[in-house]
Amino acid sequence: MRVEYINPFVEAAFDILKEVLGDEVQRGELYLKSTSQAVMGVAAFVGLAGNVEGRVLFDMTMETAIAIASEMNDETLTTLDDLGKATITELANMITAQAVTKLHDLGFTFDLTPPAIFTGENMEITDNEVEALIVPVITKQGKIEINVAVRERT
Amino acid sequence: MKTKMDFPSINERKPDGQGDGGQAYKVLIVDDSMFVKKQISQILTSEGFEVVGTAGDGLEGLEKYKELYPDVDFVTMDITMPKMDGISSLEKILEFDKEAKVIMVSALGKQDLVKKALMIGAKNYIVKPLDRVKVLERVLQSIK
Repeated sequence: MRVEYINPFVEAAFDILKEVLGDEVQRGELYLKSTSQAVMGVAAFVGLAGNVEGRVLFDMTMETAIAIASEMNDETLTTLDDLGKATITELANMITAQAVTKLHDLGFTFDLTPPAIFTGENMEITDNEVEALIVPVITKQGKIEINVAVRERT
Repeated sequence: MKTKMDFPSINERKPDGQGDGGQAYKVLIVDDSMFVKKQISQILTSEGFEVVGTAGDGLEGLEKYKELYPDVDFVTMDITMPKMDGISSLEKILEFDKEAKVIMVSALGKQDLVKKALMIGAKNYIVKPLDRVKVLERVLQSIK
């Protein structure tokens, strides 16, 4: 997978997270996975379809999701209720919308699916015939892994 | 001795969400995200605006507008929504009331759709993530 696909998502995540959390965020080491990967507990999933196809996952623990949703709502949430899920969905929405603009400017064209949220224990994701690039982003509320698996349509 | 009378002006500012007669401007919020609805609602009510209705998609937004009319001063309208998107809803609201003041709410990256909405007759637009100051500024520009 070409690295230029993931950079717009990482840049957008940085911009948006800094703005909505009002704090600095740090970037961890990029890594590549070609087999099944564990999902941490809360994953916002966005599909891409066009001349680039695949999916993007924003993966975090339940604690991180609750802490981020609490910060964005300016109130303490104790569970990831409907409001919490709507908040994480909106976060994924804002990041992907901004990333897509950057990718469109680079000449890639594709549409996005609305984000879906998966929650649960012991989940994993397997991508057939496409490897995933993962960039951890560290916030005060915890780590979010931006997990991108896309390929050019042949 | 200083009394409250020495500082009368700061705390007595009229909230931006109220007209000259002290009446609150009435808003209909159309957005499929519970989070965004809550955010817009908090920003506007904190400045004295009155949320007279909310809707979760463009079709419901259109129906609510017709129901509320003429007791609604402006609408905040998301663009990407199920059933009926914000641009179609804007068109239909303007067909019903050509004076309607509709402010589009969009994630960065939907410039083409925002442009289209402005061409059709939206009064202004707000980009997410929402910034309190910018939201109030854009809303006030649109309704005054």
